[in-house]
Amino acid sequence: MRSRRNFLKQMSRAALAVGAAPSLLARALALPQSGSTDTPRIDMPGEDGLIVRSFRFVDLETPVEYFNTWLTPVSHFFVRNHMHEPTELSSDVANSDWRLTVGGEVDKPFALTFSELSKLETHSVVNTLECAGNGRSLQRPQVPGVQWGKGAVGTARFSGPRLRDILLRAGIKPTGKDVMFRGLDEVPGKVPPFVRSIPIEKALDSDTLVATHMNGAPLTKHHGFPARALVPGWIGAASCKWLTEIKVLDSEFVGNFMSPGYRFPNQPVKPGDAVKPEDTHPLTGLSVKSVIAGPLEGTSLKAGKVAVHGAAWAGENNVVKVEVSTDGGASWNPAGLGHDEARYAWRLWTYEWKAKSGDYSILSRATDSEGRTQPATPVWNPSGYLYNAVDQVKIHVA
Amino acid sequence: MWHERKSEMKRWADSLSVITLAVIVVVALSPWAFSQKPAADLPAGPMQGKATSSCLECHEARIILQQRLSKAAWTKEVDKMVKWGAVVEANDRDALIDYLSVNFGTDQPAYEPPRTSAGKTSGKKQLQ
Repeated sequence: MRSRRNFLKQMSRAALAVGAAPSLLARALALPQSGSTDTPRIDMPGEDGLIVRSFRFVDLETPVEYFNTWLTPVSHFFVRNHMHEPTELSSDVANSDWRLTVGGEVDKPFALTFSELSKLETHSVVNTLECAGNGRSLQRPQVPGVQWGKGAVGTARFSGPRLRDILLRAGIKPTGKDVMFRGLDEVPGKVPPFVRSIPIEKALDSDTLVATHMNGAPLTKHHGFPARALVPGWIGAASCKWLTEIKVLDSEFVGNFMSPGYRFPNQPVKPGDAVKPEDTHPLTGLSVKSVIAGPLEGTSLKAGKVAVHGAAWAGENNVVKVEVSTDGGASWNPAGLGHDEARYAWRLWTYEWKAKSGDYSILSRATDSEGRTQPATPVWNPSGYLYNAVDQVKIHVA
Repeated sequence: MWHERKSEMKRWADSLSVITLAVIVVVALSPWAFSQKPAADLPAGPMQGKATSSCLECHEARIILQQRLSKAAWTKEVDKMVKWGAVVEANDRDALIDYLSVNFGTDQPAYEPPRTSAGKTSGKKQLQ
């Protein structure tokens, strides 16, 4: 009996050892993958080395080291889903019962098949798309929500018909003030549906799209296949995925994701303080922001030339300046801006630094065409939106 | 008699060490050694089962594992989720808030998230 008991005990120890083996071996082999070598991996087709904030529903973050190309490949592009992805969508959408309906405060409501949508004149916009909650994990005190690091942002060329053309075809009544988007995402429990609206002026802007393509390829399911709104320069939540209904309203849509969701305090708030809903406004354009893509936090480098580099964006404004400090903010040096630029797209930037041995705090700070610049400390708010403090990495030079 | 059992146990232990080592090597070299199952679990505790059934019906455990919130903030979250359809017995509400506050309080170390596998599908055009 005693032997049997011992055997069972040994077996459970063996099981524990088996469980620990992958991480031990990964440490020993120092695998050539981005991220820590003992970071567990999850297989998700089409999503390459992204940080898994949530698997169900899908929330994936781009590691900052991927911010070294002007256009972010779709496989590296962050994914933010509020709900479960549509399960009933046919990949053969042109021959399916999928429709995009246009109604509300319009003269001639209508519905488009995917083939009809595809025949409309196409326009392309290179846009930096950022989740309003990007950087939330850096807020103190911490606030609830997906704990994004710095990578819920990416830049892609989005293509599709202009929303303006679709709305003008329906004929907007004088009462039409806002445009609501509804997607096909599936709502769990009694969660309010992810429905939001944008003001008619932004909806009629010639750069606001019903996008069907991303970087020249049809949208993937994670990015809103077969069609999504693309509201350039605005928080990602404005760009509704799996779009199926466009409705012109006589006022802002009333729903959880317009209020209390996605609102910002009208006045600065002491960290940790509550804010009344009437003292807030809906989020629209993105803040001015820069992120250091290299060197990475905690790295050890050899003395000599070091390229400090990253990306900077400013929503509807243009980035006019990025500065880098290698002495914790005591002095600032101008970074060179990359050649690739577009109205709503980020600029890549580089600063060539002659590094001598020591420990450093490297900072980056962007300024935009409206004179906005990144604050030294985060602007705290109860939902952790629009984090845009000066970026910082700590490194060692040997 | 006892002596005999002891040496028998030792033989068991020796053979098990060899088996253990063999299993470790086989598992570690297999392709799934670095993959994590998609679903994560909530930590052990008297409310683990009830938290699993109340919360993970709609979303996975990592949404909870990554939070670092005060008890007041957890209370607001639990009440919001109940409003949104999470089934929590009235008698279990306080214990659930305690479980979440203890395991995912502001004093807990940062959560380390997994990553998607690298390089397998990069560059491929995929519809779904």
